[in-house]
Amino acid sequence: MALTTAPGRTGRTGSARPHANRRRGGRDRHAEGLAGYVFLSPWLIGLMGVTAIPMLLSLWLSFTNYDILTPLSEVQWVGLANYERMFTADPSYWHAVRVTLTFALVAVPLKLAAALGVALLLNKAWRGVGLFRALFYLPSLLGGSVALAIVWVNMFNRDGAFNSFLALFGIEGLPWVSDPDWALQTLMVLAIWQFGAPMVIFLAGLKQVPTELYEAASVDGAGRFRQFWHVTLPMLSPVIFFNLVLETINGFQGFTAAFVLSNGTGGPVDSTLMYTLKLYISGFTDLEMGYASAMAWVFLIAIGLITVVFFSTGRFWVHYSDGEK
Amino acid sequence: MHPATSPTAGTPAEPHHRTPAPRRRFLRGLVAAAVAVPLMFGAAACGDDDAGAGGQIKLSIFWWGGEARAKLTEDALALYTKKHPNVTFEKTWQANQGYFDKLATLTAGGNPPDLFQIDDNYLSEYAGRSTVLDLKSYQDSGKLDVSKFPKSLLEYGVVDGKLAGVASGENTQGLVYNKTLLTSNGLPEPTTGQSWEEHIAWAEQVARKTKIPGTQDPSADYKAFWVWLRQQGKDLYNGKDLGFTAEDVTKWFELWKGARDRGATPTPDVIHEGNASDVTKQLVVTGKAATSWVWVNQMPDLKKNTKDELGVVAYPGDPSAQWARASMYWSVFKSSKHRDTAVDVINFLANDPEAAALLGTDRGLPSNMDLRAKVSETVTDPAMKQSIQVETELAQKFGTSPQVPIKGHSKVKSELVKAAENVQYKRATPAQAAEQFIAACKSAIA
Repeated sequence: MALTTAPGRTGRTGSARPHANRRRGGRDRHAEGLAGYVFLSPWLIGLMGVTAIPMLLSLWLSFTNYDILTPLSEVQWVGLANYERMFTADPSYWHAVRVTLTFALVAVPLKLAAALGVALLLNKAWRGVGLFRALFYLPSLLGGSVALAIVWVNMFNRDGAFNSFLALFGIEGLPWVSDPDWALQTLMVLAIWQFGAPMVIFLAGLKQVPTELYEAASVDGAGRFRQFWHVTLPMLSPVIFFNLVLETINGFQGFTAAFVLSNGTGGPVDSTLMYTLKLYISGFTDLEMGYASAMAWVFLIAIGLITVVFFSTGRFWVHYSDGEK
Repeated sequence: MHPATSPTAGTPAEPHHRTPAPRRRFLRGLVAAAVAVPLMFGAAACGDDDAGAGGQIKLSIFWWGGEARAKLTEDALALYTKKHPNVTFEKTWQANQGYFDKLATLTAGGNPPDLFQIDDNYLSEYAGRSTVLDLKSYQDSGKLDVSKFPKSLLEYGVVDGKLAGVASGENTQGLVYNKTLLTSNGLPEPTTGQSWEEHIAWAEQVARKTKIPGTQDPSADYKAFWVWLRQQGKDLYNGKDLGFTAEDVTKWFELWKGARDRGATPTPDVIHEGNASDVTKQLVVTGKAATSWVWVNQMPDLKKNTKDELGVVAYPGDPSAQWARASMYWSVFKSSKHRDTAVDVINFLANDPEAAALLGTDRGLPSNMDLRAKVSETVTDPAMKQSIQVETELAQKFGTSPQVPIKGHSKVKSELVKAAENVQYKRATPAQAAEQFIAACKSAIA
């Protein structure tokens, strides 16, 4: 063990040396920083113009009665009225929160489990594994595409392909996408099916686990399951953490599929009224952009808090191999 | 090639270039003036029609619809340009879905089209926020001729005393049925004037005989609910308030609960499919019900999606509850620099015989009654012919127009869908759903 990690250590100190040399002159460093910003400028301008300024504007709008059609100069300050209405007077807001939480709580863990499971299978060296990796990755290339959502809706219609498949076994399927008890589940399955992106990251993580650890474990008599539990999972925990944070944020922001499935209404009977969809409907269908902005800000803060929770619990279960916790 | 030609071609030009510098300066000044003067006039003429250099006007126009509508509209606009060579159009069109998102965004961005299509879902929203031009003064001055419009159709474009939109066509509610299915099974066709009970009994009979539900359940459909309300002496809106009570909604939901229990309508999931506004998803063309609740002018489009013969009658009950509805309007943005021209284009599209002939009944029956008569004579498409015939017959029986739906109408529509589906999926009793619906409506229109 010591032998294998040693070259890595020396390599790191070696690479740090020229960096230390460069730290001599403050002016050089300043110039370097400036050059850095110059090279960053296209992105910075984009960030300011396309993201930061509109974001701040929306923060202001969240305290107004802005309705899109009225010029910005004529909007009225309404204080916390939008926030008050959201929390106390709009039952469909809480409904959207429930739908989104349900979606994320079910779809994200299952998606990660599917990604890890398939990554474990594809981590073996057998013929044609490359092809399978590509095939499993494909659905997530299509990502949040509208076309995919349309295909999905048609597949899970009462007379869709899925029910025809079930009919082969004599099972009569349900109208999955137009039944309020099943529409959200159909969306969850779609989200889970697109596990390619976390899978590829898991694969990369699995490749990083030193094989000596498995050899040592099997010498000690650990079976497959124990190896997975005591070697793979701890070694993979930073990657799991990364995927968990990213996929949770993604899960909360799901919009396209719900929009397509419900024709932009969140139906049937609000069963697919995801938070982002509710926000969209408030802003663009009901023309209450101030209210929608307030919703967006609460959403941002909520996702921020969830991420903070992840990071603060992470130190109890995320294991970094270089010993730092 | 360049080095070879330049000595020969360049040399004789040289002395010419060196001719008096003052003249060159003069020319340059002239160019500058030519650019600046119209700019100055432009700024001064703010408010009136703001023509560019040479009186050229580029009018932006935006509508929703399919390719067929785009073709007809483009032809009609080309005709306008032919008659007014100084006016050209910047045309934008797209599908109905997303149209109002874009229109709102364009407005917010300070870059709205001069002339745009709008419907009664949003007319009040736009008019109430003073984003559309009041066309009353143009009507008074005769620049906008609406004298040949049916009075109720014209009034259906008036919001708070302002003429906010000019009907680009007329339609009314129509019950479209599958004629082929009925005749091949020896079943009677529905008729205008049948009662709601009779219609449901008929639908049950159809379902028994053909195994296809007789009628789509329209309890989520605001236009059917609206007609029914008017037959009960109520209305959808009354001033800034709702024109109905929770009891009315409960009765409406119970009427259709009864129909579902009798097997006259499809199952809730199929009803849900048919609730989509998309023509291609209407149950009468997908074969999942014998009847769909649509607008009369959608007949030709429906016909394109099925091989079966279709027929159309009024919604059940007294047809005087129906009215000459503007299927859509043309409106002008208040801040448009070309408002006079925009109004003139509306006037042209409504009253020019050639334009009316080009546009046909794509946006509904022509609003100008004289032209409507002419167009209906020349129509060849049998489905279109039938829809014109039915609507012309109904026009004799039309009652007065209701007021244009108020702000929050689109929310009221979607809340009705939600409430009705809650009942259909047995998640709420008619009374519970009605109560929730009323509460949601009140907050929507507040």
